[in-house]
Order: sequence, then structure tokens, then C-alpha cells
Amino acid sequence: MDQISVIAASGLSARMQSLELLANNMANASTNGFKGDGEFYTVYTSEAADADESGVPTTLPMIQRQWTDFAQGLLEPTNNPLDFGLSGKGLFTIQGPSGPLYTRNGNFHISADGTLLASDGLPVLLRDDQPVKLDPTLPVEVSPDGEVKQQGQTLGQLKLVQFKDTSVLLKQGNNYYRNIGDQEPAEAVNTEVHQGNIEGSNVSAAHGAVRLVGVMRQFEMMQKAISISNDMGRKAIEEVAKL
Amino acid sequence: MIRALFSAASGMNAQQLNVDNIANNIANANTNGFKSRRAQFQDLMYQNMIQPGAAASQQSVVPTGLQLGLGTRSVSNEIIFTQGDFSETDNPLDVVIQGNGFFQIQQTSGQLAYTKSGSFHLNNTGQVVTANGEALQPPITIPQGAQSVTIAADGTVSYTLAGQTAAQQAGQIQLANFANPSGLNSVGDSLFLPTDASGSPITGAPGGQEGMGSLLQGYVEQSNVSVVQEFINLIVSQRAYEANSKVVKAADDMYQQVNNLKQ
Repeated sequence: MDQISVIAASGLSARMQSLELLANNMANASTNGFKGDGEFYTVYTSEAADADESGVPTTLPMIQRQWTDFAQGLLEPTNNPLDFGLSGKGLFTIQGPSGPLYTRNGNFHISADGTLLASDGLPVLLRDDQPVKLDPTLPVEVSPDGEVKQQGQTLGQLKLVQFKDTSVLLKQGNNYYRNIGDQEPAEAVNTEVHQGNIEGSNVSAAHGAVRLVGVMRQFEMMQKAISISNDMGRKAIEEVAKL
Repeated sequence: MIRALFSAASGMNAQQLNVDNIANNIANANTNGFKSRRAQFQDLMYQNMIQPGAAASQQSVVPTGLQLGLGTRSVSNEIIFTQGDFSETDNPLDVVIQGNGFFQIQQTSGQLAYTKSGSFHLNNTGQVVTANGEALQPPITIPQGAQSVTIAADGTVSYTLAGQTAAQQAGQIQLANFANPSGLNSVGDSLFLPTDASGSPITGAPGGQEGMGSLLQGYVEQSNVSVVQEFINLIVSQRAYEANSKVVKAADDMYQQVNNLKQ
């Protein structure tokens, strides 16, 4: 195959992956605490082309990795005393089946025995890594700094953490992130808990629509490039060789 | 690419469920004692295209990978147990609970059910029953010819008979509460049944230490549905549905172009 087609095809497949990322963002426009993903394009240079100084090296565009946009989502009031919206960079710590999980989704529940649970039943952790044990018959108050109180009595402080480099957070599904780096989470600063609010998804439909148009037009351009290269090839065969 | 189609479809499904839920809330905006529900969503599994930590070359590793998400799913629509507004009816058998408690109702099957709706009536034997004829528990009977029925804040029901001045006590209404009321099972007719998630009912007298809340006679509790809020949610949900359908269209268009590559 000629070089134009190879490069354009690589661009086509990268735009397809872009669309897949975008589709996931749009699908999660109503997921509480969801953070949208973006993509990092890079240029692949083959090692052989790198070594060859004479010719034009073969470079192919590709998506190297995605990054998560941790921008603040809108805090929506729900009046539910067990909804906790976060403002700032912090994350709630949840006791996962194998190590801690982190989430921005503060839609919590109380189990029948009074443990504070995340929406799929995993316990929410306090700073001392213990689950929150509440008296289910009494109202719960959580102060902006994460202190959990019932009738004026402090039960502990929610473990709010933040990561200097958020790229170590791997999305797990179910609104959870897992720490895959060796970076220890630090105590969250400038993070406030807003009881009775929930953080909406930070995906904006308008932004998504603009990116959608961009991806589609770029895709179209690549397709045109392949058609042109095809035409040139055909012309070379049919016309140049004509005597 | 197929992933984009299915992710967008999952988003459309989620918004459809959201609209179903909003429709039920709005339909019950005038149902006494109705508690609105709110749909909750989560992101689905992620597919690792490039594993983070994989070798990028002999010397370096990929710091973060390429993960493609597969869409969204609906997890729950939890019941929001905030207090509804009170409206005055002057009907002596309309009672509201100012607090977290539930009335206990004996269903015809014999099972106990729980409700926030306190519009009661008397049946042909003088027993206090719901609009469906199911008896309040513990049973309270008002004899025929009772002149005025009074329900005190602590649930004591008393009445006076014609020609008598002293009030007679008919019994005391007991309320129930749950560790996790959001885990209750709605069975229609404004009734809830306990589940393993809600925990067992804790009963107590109104206004007591258990935090059941006290009673107020002559009022009904309206639904806690905020119609304005529901309409806002409806608009947001409809727009999100539209955005997802645009993604389906884009994926389809891109597919078509791929198919047109071969002339």
C-alpha cells in the first residue's frame, strides 16, 4: 500500500477511538460525579525510519492514552441528607474488595446495621480507615471539612484524599478510581463536603457536540485523502502507462 | 466503533429510564404522602486498549494507558424521604407525621405495610382504616355516636360520646421507622414493605425518643415532588438523550464513509 493510505488509515482508526471516548462521555452525562475523558494524540515513528536519515520517516498518528478531566461538576441540591457533593480536588475513600477505591460520587446510604455505604454497598472510610458507624435513628450532619456528627457528637472525619498526579487514577467502572501508581494519596486541601447536594457529571453536551463535529470532519478528510491517493494510483496505472 | 454505538445506546437507555422516573414523579405530584424517586447512574466497565505500566520501549513504561469506557447503566432510583408540604383539611381523621415515622397498616394478607399517607376513614364497624379499607395497627375503634375525635401529638386517640362531657380514650397510634428507609420496597397504594436492605421496623410512640416525629391532626402531607425541579430534570434528560442520538448518527456516518472507501 502507498504511504498516504497507510497514514490516513491510521488517522481514521484514531478518530474512531476518539468517537468511542466521546460516546462514553455522552452516555455518562447523568452519572453523578463522572469525569469526562479526553485523548492524547501522539506520532508513532518506526525504529527503522528513525535510523534512516535519508528518507522521510514513516510517522503515524495514534492515540497514546486518555486523560481524565477532573474539572468540577455542577453541585445539584437534592435535599437528601445522605448526598454529599464535593467541591475542590478531593475524593472520597471507599473500602474496596482489594484495597481502597476512590470516588467523587457522594450518593451514600445507611445499611440496616448503620454502616455508611457507597451506592453499590461498599463502606465509606474515615481517616482512621474504619467504616462510618451511625445510629440509623438519628439525623446525620457532615460539616464542610468532612466531620461526621450525630446529635453534636463527632463520629470521625471522612477520608478525603487528593493526588498530585491524577494520571495514576484508573477508572474502574461504577464511578470508582483505583490508584495504580506508587504515589501515596495526600490529605485533600481546599475540598469541601456539601451535604444535601450531589455533584453532577462534568460532561457538557455543548462541548461534546463541538468535538463530535470535529472528529467527524477530520474523519471525512482522512477518507478523502485515501480516495485521492486511490485516484492517483489508478491514474498512474491507467494513464501514465498509456502509449 | 461498534463500542461507540453501544455506549451511546446505553446512554439513551439510561435517559429513557430517567424520563420514566420523572413521569411517575410528576404523575404523583398530587398523591398525598407520595415520596419522589431519583434515578442514579454509574459508568460501566472500561476496556484497556493499552495497559498502563506496559513496556513502551526497553527502557520506559507507559505511564497511563488508553481505556475506553463502555457507557452507562442505571443502578437505582432511590426514594427521597423529605417532608412534603402540609395542607389543612379540617377532617379529624387526616393526620400527618412531622418526622421520620411511618403508619403501620395491616394488609388483607395479614402482612404489615408502612405508609406516610395519613388520610384515614372509619369502616362499618367503626375501625380506623385507609382509603383501601386496610386497618391501622394497633387497631383503633371509634364507637358509633362519637361526637368529636381528637388525635394528640403523641398519638392518643380520644372521643366524646353524645351527652357526655368526659373524653374516652380509644387507643394510641404507634409509628415505625427503619434504619435505611431508602431500602424500602414500594408496593403501590402509597404502601412500603420492609426488605433486608431497609432493616426491621423499629416501633415507638409518636413524639418519643426514637425520633418518629409527632402527629398533627386535620392536615394531610402532600407529595414531596417539586414540579419545577422535575421539569428541569426532564429538559436535561431530553437534551442528554438527543446528544447520545447524535453520537449514534455520527458513528453511523463514519461507518458509511468507511464503506465508501472501496469504490
